[in-house]
Amino acid sequence: MRAGGDTRRSPPGRARRVLGVLLGAVRQIVGAPDYQRYVAHHAARHPGRPPLSPREYYAEFLSWQFGSGGPTRCC
Amino acid sequence: MLARKMRHLRSTILWIVVASLGATAFAVLAQSRGESINAAWILVAGVASYVVAYRFYSRYLALRVFALDDRRATPAERLNNGRDFVPTNKWVLYGHHFAAIAGAGPLIGPMLAAQFGFLPGTLWLIAGVVVGGAVQDFTILFASMRRDGKSLGQMAKEEVNSVAGMAAMVAILAIMIILLAVLALVVVNALRASPWGLFIIASTIPIAMLMGVWMRSFRPGHVLEASAIGIALLLAALVAGRWVAGDPTWGPWFTWSGTKLSWGIIAYGFLAAALPVWLLLSPRGYLSTFLKIGTILTLAVAILLVLPQTRLPALTQFVDGTGPVFSGKVFPFAFITIACGAISGFHALVASGTTPKMVTHESEARLIGYGAMLMESFVGLMAIIAAATLEPGVYFAMNVPAATLGPTAETAARAIGQWGYTLHPGQMEALARQMGEATLLSRTGGAPSLAVGMASILGGVVRGTGLALWYHFAIMFEALFILTTVDAGTRVGRFMLQELVGHVWEPFGRTSWYPSVLISSAVIVAGWGYFLYQGVVDPLGGINSLWPLFGIANQLLAAVALCVGTTILIKMGKWRAAWVTTVPLVWLALVTLTAGCEKVFASDPRLGFLAHARSVAPGSANAARLVFNDRLDAALALAFMAVVVVVILASAREWWLVLSRRKEPVVHEAPFVASAFAAGD
Repeated sequence: MRAGGDTRRSPPGRARRVLGVLLGAVRQIVGAPDYQRYVAHHAARHPGRPPLSPREYYAEFLSWQFGSGGPTRCC
Repeated sequence: MLARKMRHLRSTILWIVVASLGATAFAVLAQSRGESINAAWILVAGVASYVVAYRFYSRYLALRVFALDDRRATPAERLNNGRDFVPTNKWVLYGHHFAAIAGAGPLIGPMLAAQFGFLPGTLWLIAGVVVGGAVQDFTILFASMRRDGKSLGQMAKEEVNSVAGMAAMVAILAIMIILLAVLALVVVNALRASPWGLFIIASTIPIAMLMGVWMRSFRPGHVLEASAIGIALLLAALVAGRWVAGDPTWGPWFTWSGTKLSWGIIAYGFLAAALPVWLLLSPRGYLSTFLKIGTILTLAVAILLVLPQTRLPALTQFVDGTGPVFSGKVFPFAFITIACGAISGFHALVASGTTPKMVTHESEARLIGYGAMLMESFVGLMAIIAAATLEPGVYFAMNVPAATLGPTAETAARAIGQWGYTLHPGQMEALARQMGEATLLSRTGGAPSLAVGMASILGGVVRGTGLALWYHFAIMFEALFILTTVDAGTRVGRFMLQELVGHVWEPFGRTSWYPSVLISSAVIVAGWGYFLYQGVVDPLGGINSLWPLFGIANQLLAAVALCVGTTILIKMGKWRAAWVTTVPLVWLALVTLTAGCEKVFASDPRLGFLAHARSVAPGSANAARLVFNDRLDAALALAFMAVVVVVILASAREWWLVLSRRKEPVVHEAPFVASAFAAGD
């Protein structure tokens, strides 16, 4: 998304990228929605169709995640 | 050639060193009689066993038994939908899976089992996970991964037969009810007459609602941001709790009795299950996951830094079954009580839930299925260490019900003196003052004594922070994620009930039809609420009857999972390797059936439900209620045992049919599709 070799190589750009990867990992660990990942997936799989807005995506994520009860939690 | 030989030699030497270290640690543990040893020996024995088991046994399972194949595309690759089916980095998925399986069980169970001394718990946590728990998790993860992420119930139905499938579904619902009741009881006992603790836990409700509104209306989906705010507010509530508790107006306002607390939790459980999930359930889940992972990591670091000495003996005289914390001999009750940290049937639900849909390469199931369970056992060892650092007198003063200890510090000191441990009457008062509580006598359920142990370890690292703050931090940590299990479990139970009744009466099965939502939520809450309330008013302390029932139920679910696993292995033509699941299965069947029979039929009224019912004096207060509850508990234990027997017989019939070639072995695996990912991608 944020393309361009310059931002990638410059130290602040790289730091931001590393932070982005880390935060993405944290989101996956706790099972949180990830809008950026959704947009990337949507662009790859359904090109030409506009993605949901963040608000719509979050609502849809919740209804999917809790649609059959919710995440299993152990004792 | 030479370089390879050198590498081989180096690796051999390394593994010999690791194995000898572990063996030395076990020798030190086994020979400690009376004298104090360093907790490091418990850690070394555990970690050395884990790495050896991971390197050799899980490799055997992965290569020889399951024959994991990276050329085969996983469901995450084939069905990638950017939502539940997502190829995930293996370490991220390890964290995700661990966060889903870790709960209060591995912390509370070892704390209670410490009445036998620290040795039985330590040995079972280590041996049980290596041969049982990690194998179960890995097997079910493998089976579900090969079946597009099917659930345990579905696999039981398809691979064994519909009787096993039905038994598994009913068992899961019944286990859920007992699990929620006993966990809620642990919270009630931790917050009883503790205004500081109750204030923190009560404030998690508005904090979660604020997070919910933030994530829905202000910054849609910004979970990390909202969680950061939530955690900051939670820590503020932790500090503010001290002032609230000391305030002459607010202090009494937050001082609740056990019965009032149980009604509060029942009301909370109902609201959380019936309210929209974005408002309470979902944000609380994030809050509790962050706190859980953070605290477990902090505790691990603190234990490594402090390396405390043990004070509890390796073995106590209570291995003979006369224990005052809960009754029953070390076999089978140490195994039933430890449960989750060594082998937990509930993990089979996670390993056949979200995790199998996120594995990128088949071979990674080894790290995630087997490896994450080793970590869970490690959490259990931390709880053993926290228990072992308590003085025996203090441990028993906190964990034995008031009916045995008597009402005052003097009576407690006398009772504990009779068991051969020392407790000065003033000691408990001084400890309670240090921890910022009114009293710590007979605070049963394991959570308060775990909090005292954790506080002394954590307070030893960060000097000058005050034990009271750490004690309430630990209480907050336990109560928060237990209540998250209670509210999420109520909702999951509600869906199961709606599905079950939906077979009979279709409208009830519509999960968003409001009358059905309210009725099913109320039924589930009433189910666990009933057992919770009876546990709170039980003169023997509730834990004595409910925790073994929970342990039996949990181990029973593990037996169901191992039956499914064995059936799949036999149908795959791997009957020679099926001992990997049948050995733990036979052991679990032995343990649960023995424990179940003893709980129902033992002649000692402290142990046997029916004997206790007979011992109740007919004219005494609450006699009818006590007798009814004993008979109900007995019926439940019998029902659990019946389910195990039915599932084992149904599975054994399938094994016999397949092995005697009377039936074609048909496995319901998804067909092979070549993976586009390069191995190790």
